[in-house]
Amino acid sequence: MGGLFYSESEDKEMTGKPYRLAASGSHIDRSKRLSFQFDGREVSGFAGDTLASAVLAQGQKLFGRSFKYHRPRGVVGLGSEEMNALVGVGTGGHLEPNLRATQVEVFNGLVAQSQNRWPSLTFDVGAINSKVSRFIPGGFYYKTFMWPQSFWKHVYEPFIRRAAGLGKAASEPDPDSYEHMHVHVDVLVVGGGLAGLTAAEAAAASGARVMLVDENPLLGGIADLTAGKVGVMYIVDHALAAAARLQSLPNVHVLCRSTVVGHYAHNYLMACERVADHDPSLLAAGAPRHRLWKIRAAQVILATGALERPIAFANNDRPGIMLASAVSGLLARQAVAMGSNGIVFTNNDNAYLTALALKKAGVGVRVVDSRLRSDGALVQRSLAEGIDVSFGSVISAVEGSQGVRAAKIAAYRKGQGRVITEKKVYCDFIAMSGGWNPVLHLWCHNGGKIKFDTVLASFRPDKHSDAIAAIGAANGTMTVSETLAEAHMAGEAAAKAVKPKAKAAKFKLPVVEEPKSAALEPLWFAPATGKYNEGNKHFIDFQNDVTVADLELAQREGYESVEHTKRYTTFGMATDQGKTSNINGLGVLSEATGKTIPEIGITTFRPPYTPYSFGSIAGALTGNLFLPVRRTPIFDWHVERGAVFEPVGQWRRAYTYPGAGEDKHASITREILSVRNKVGLLDASTLGKIEIKGPDAAEFLDRVYTNMFSTLKVGKCRYGLMMNELGFLTDDGVTVRLADDHFLMHTTSGGADRIAAHLEEWLQTEWTQYKVFVTPVTEQWAQFAIAGPKARDVMAKLDPDFDLSNEAFPHMSFKVGKLGGYPVRVFRISFSGEQSYEVATPANLGRGLWEAVLDAGTEFGIEPYGTEALHVLRAEKGYIVVGDETDGTTTPIDVGLESLVSKKKADFLGKRSLEQSYLKGPNRKQLVGLLTEDPIEVLPDGAYAVRVVKDKPPMEMIGQVTSTYMSPTLGRSIAMALIENGRSRMGETLSFPLEGGKVVKAKITDTVFYDKDGGRIHD
Amino acid sequence: MIEAKYESALANRSEPSNASILIREMNGRGMIDVRGAAADRKFLAAMKSVLGFDLPKVPRSSATWGDVRALWLSTDQWLITCNGTKADELSAALVAALGGLHSLVVNVSDMRAVIRLEGEGVRETVMKGTSIDLTDGDYPPGTVRRMRFAEIAALLHIVEDNVIEIYVFRSYADYVWEFLLKAARKGSEVRLFGNRG
Repeated sequence: MGGLFYSESEDKEMTGKPYRLAASGSHIDRSKRLSFQFDGREVSGFAGDTLASAVLAQGQKLFGRSFKYHRPRGVVGLGSEEMNALVGVGTGGHLEPNLRATQVEVFNGLVAQSQNRWPSLTFDVGAINSKVSRFIPGGFYYKTFMWPQSFWKHVYEPFIRRAAGLGKAASEPDPDSYEHMHVHVDVLVVGGGLAGLTAAEAAAASGARVMLVDENPLLGGIADLTAGKVGVMYIVDHALAAAARLQSLPNVHVLCRSTVVGHYAHNYLMACERVADHDPSLLAAGAPRHRLWKIRAAQVILATGALERPIAFANNDRPGIMLASAVSGLLARQAVAMGSNGIVFTNNDNAYLTALALKKAGVGVRVVDSRLRSDGALVQRSLAEGIDVSFGSVISAVEGSQGVRAAKIAAYRKGQGRVITEKKVYCDFIAMSGGWNPVLHLWCHNGGKIKFDTVLASFRPDKHSDAIAAIGAANGTMTVSETLAEAHMAGEAAAKAVKPKAKAAKFKLPVVEEPKSAALEPLWFAPATGKYNEGNKHFIDFQNDVTVADLELAQREGYESVEHTKRYTTFGMATDQGKTSNINGLGVLSEATGKTIPEIGITTFRPPYTPYSFGSIAGALTGNLFLPVRRTPIFDWHVERGAVFEPVGQWRRAYTYPGAGEDKHASITREILSVRNKVGLLDASTLGKIEIKGPDAAEFLDRVYTNMFSTLKVGKCRYGLMMNELGFLTDDGVTVRLADDHFLMHTTSGGADRIAAHLEEWLQTEWTQYKVFVTPVTEQWAQFAIAGPKARDVMAKLDPDFDLSNEAFPHMSFKVGKLGGYPVRVFRISFSGEQSYEVATPANLGRGLWEAVLDAGTEFGIEPYGTEALHVLRAEKGYIVVGDETDGTTTPIDVGLESLVSKKKADFLGKRSLEQSYLKGPNRKQLVGLLTEDPIEVLPDGAYAVRVVKDKPPMEMIGQVTSTYMSPTLGRSIAMALIENGRSRMGETLSFPLEGGKVVKAKITDTVFYDKDGGRIHD
Repeated sequence: MIEAKYESALANRSEPSNASILIREMNGRGMIDVRGAAADRKFLAAMKSVLGFDLPKVPRSSATWGDVRALWLSTDQWLITCNGTKADELSAALVAALGGLHSLVVNVSDMRAVIRLEGEGVRETVMKGTSIDLTDGDYPPGTVRRMRFAEIAALLHIVEDNVIEIYVFRSYADYVWEFLLKAARKGSEVRLFGNRG
């Protein structure tokens, strides 16, 4: 028999056994040898190997440890259903955990690690859990780690996190790039097997835009593992020919290595394309590692195939026990044999294909079939070829722990719970097949209903309210001929729904030759040698270590609902999402309860189908793209000047400009004093600016502001307060009258978009009779405040022709004109209490004018100041900031601005609300100033004043600090606060208890701390 | 007298060297925001008297005459683009022609940055940042629409089959520029359907 094996010296050294066969291997290219690392060991393979096949070819069957019991585990599946052989791929920031070894394509230099083992794969400390497993039943965590509560955080949780859990996340930032891509298609076909290819071709024939998405590198699904012929061609050749035709069509887009991870309402789907995982040179060439496709499809055809079911028999989790399809796949695709002497354990005909393939490859094989007989073609052929078949038998025991050494075969009649007679046979691997489950995940993600099919002993698609069809094995259609017909019809129907007028191509169902199968017989539990569940676990959910006994225990403990059982035992959770465990678990529950499987129901399938990277979810929006940052025209200058920034909405505003050797406190103090004593320059470009024009503009403004604007004269500015309908302050700012019917409104920086929308909403939905247009122009203008006693000097220096006399240009007026070569709007308004000019120039001229102002101001000692100085300056003057002095429940009267609430106007927003008893009543909090007893003590922002200080809370609170600063101008601290009946308490001393028992005392004063008569503004 | 110094939003950005398409800022473009009722015949006539062509009234469309173009923004709003040096003059002419008619004309030439994308694959590049289907027949040259692009609001104008201009508020220019450099990076090209070549 040795002559049939491809001889590899290192294989022999490593294992003493040749696992890579000489013949076949449709996916591998033996001329391209590759080398990679698995758990720090150099492994060689061929181009076309998966990590699983290359490692198995070396004879290594152990790939990881199980979740709870740390039992040794090997590869079970063929592809994305793999639940044991999870690996971490890559190093450092590139590491991606929880990848299925069966899907990882190897390349030179690949580095992969097994997971969930400590300290090493072959010796695992956690495996002690396996020995004490009778003390770790289902619900163990819930039962054990409940008490005392304080132990949870420091004892139980760290223990569980280290002992259990799947792979570890990378600890460094991911250096690779990712991106999103949107696409709209007429027909999306998910799955590139025989069904998907056929449907896609039929849909494309009408000219519809078709996208075909498949998770594997190669199209064809499992056509290569399917017996039969279409016409004169083998199934696989027929499928590959269709794939080639599709690839060349201009209206078809094929995505390989792409998993549709979720299917959401209205046929919105997401697919993660692994662009460069298989070839890092693509990354270097600029490709994203993963690309997340956001697909909007008019019609969806699900051709997601079916997954083979394991069988629940004693110790069915030993490395070397695999799904029959996985054994066949490794043999046909990578020429890897799992051993030299195997058993196929089945309850159906299909698995006989595996037996035949093994026989043909020269691998010893026998079949254990739980059915009493089968007259199916494959079974008869196996018998004719001399394969030993034990009908009416199950595997009742497996010997070996890190591999399979022998198995016991017991006689079995349907439903039998105990072993009566058994015989021992030597073998080194087992291929199991409990039937096939249609892959319903995507069907169910989007709300599809399913029904139980007794022939399949599985669920299949039922009704759906979206434009979706399931075809082929995904629909429970298990023969090639029916699949071809169904797929073609679905493709044509989907295309017709999108393009009703297109003519369908003529289609003649080809002659299909395929083996006739006998029925499978459900087998939910194979009786075991010895005492049940002692040292012979029947695994249902391999990934979560859930056994038949756990499910039965949950039933006995009263977890009747399948959803409760799922959460209690963790069966079907995590990345498995029920792929291999679901139906077997339901079968067990059915036998334990005497209910049918449809009566038990099924747990929810949740996205993602398989895990996908966080990188792909974030896409390109990381680093500097994580959050859009708005820059004023002066931004670069601020950066060059070393400004510290603060976020204001999405804007970054200069907070202060620390000089060499200065801390922020020092620079803020310097900036404030510069404005008070000389002159300062502030970038106020972020202020909201809205042009409002129309015959009704003045009346409109009268309605949105609390105070009167119709009386404002052209050329003048007025400060306005805005309330919402509830009577609460929502914005403020200065509005100027450009012309009789034309105003320019300023809003707060943060309120710019909100207020523009607010104005539009009232115009469009309530006051539709008004002829008013509103155009936001915030970003048209760069705007600066030149403030301080020398402001006028700076302005005069900039342009001696600009008339700045108080007579020509008094406080609260504005001028349009030119400062030198700069077209400007100049507003004589002040938020600092100083003589102040706000100058606006078109944004693209902003930086030029900014620098020109600084040049002109040098001789007057001008300094740029940031937003913190701005805030202190305004607080010294008692000017409110909406959002600081107001909290969304504050009225103009509360903040002492009753004089700005018109008594004359017939109506305006919030007027009626101010008449409500609770807004007019006594005991409202009113804005007052505070001076601490200790002048250098600065109250914390938000500190509460209490009626009576007690040893500990609760204490009755009577108000809170809204703004609080050290005032360099006054050489002491100042604050403002909203205090119950504050204005009638002038001179009272309040107590502010702070954390740690400290109590700060402060006297209530007027809110204006500086220049109380306001003379400086008019200088 | 001090001379005005002009600096566009992306003035300090160099030409991208690693992009699969041409990306550049169209600085110096004049932009005038016009508000008026599409149902107001006098308004339309006054606009035509200055522009020389009718304002487009079909949603998401545009009209062009020489170097003046009108982009439909909504049922009562258009963006007129022209050579930047003529924006003041054109605004003044529009204001004069509209006289007492209910309207609002604002020169907003500095309010937005315009980024022009040219070359094979521009539509797919933009589709990395927006959910709209630019490969659809609904998006011929001349199409204008607002869109969410990456994380912000933007105005899209399809100038020619392979030429797209994106208008964004000036403060977001850097953000969009960075996004486009990433999306158009060589080696990351996506060609949909028949454009795989």
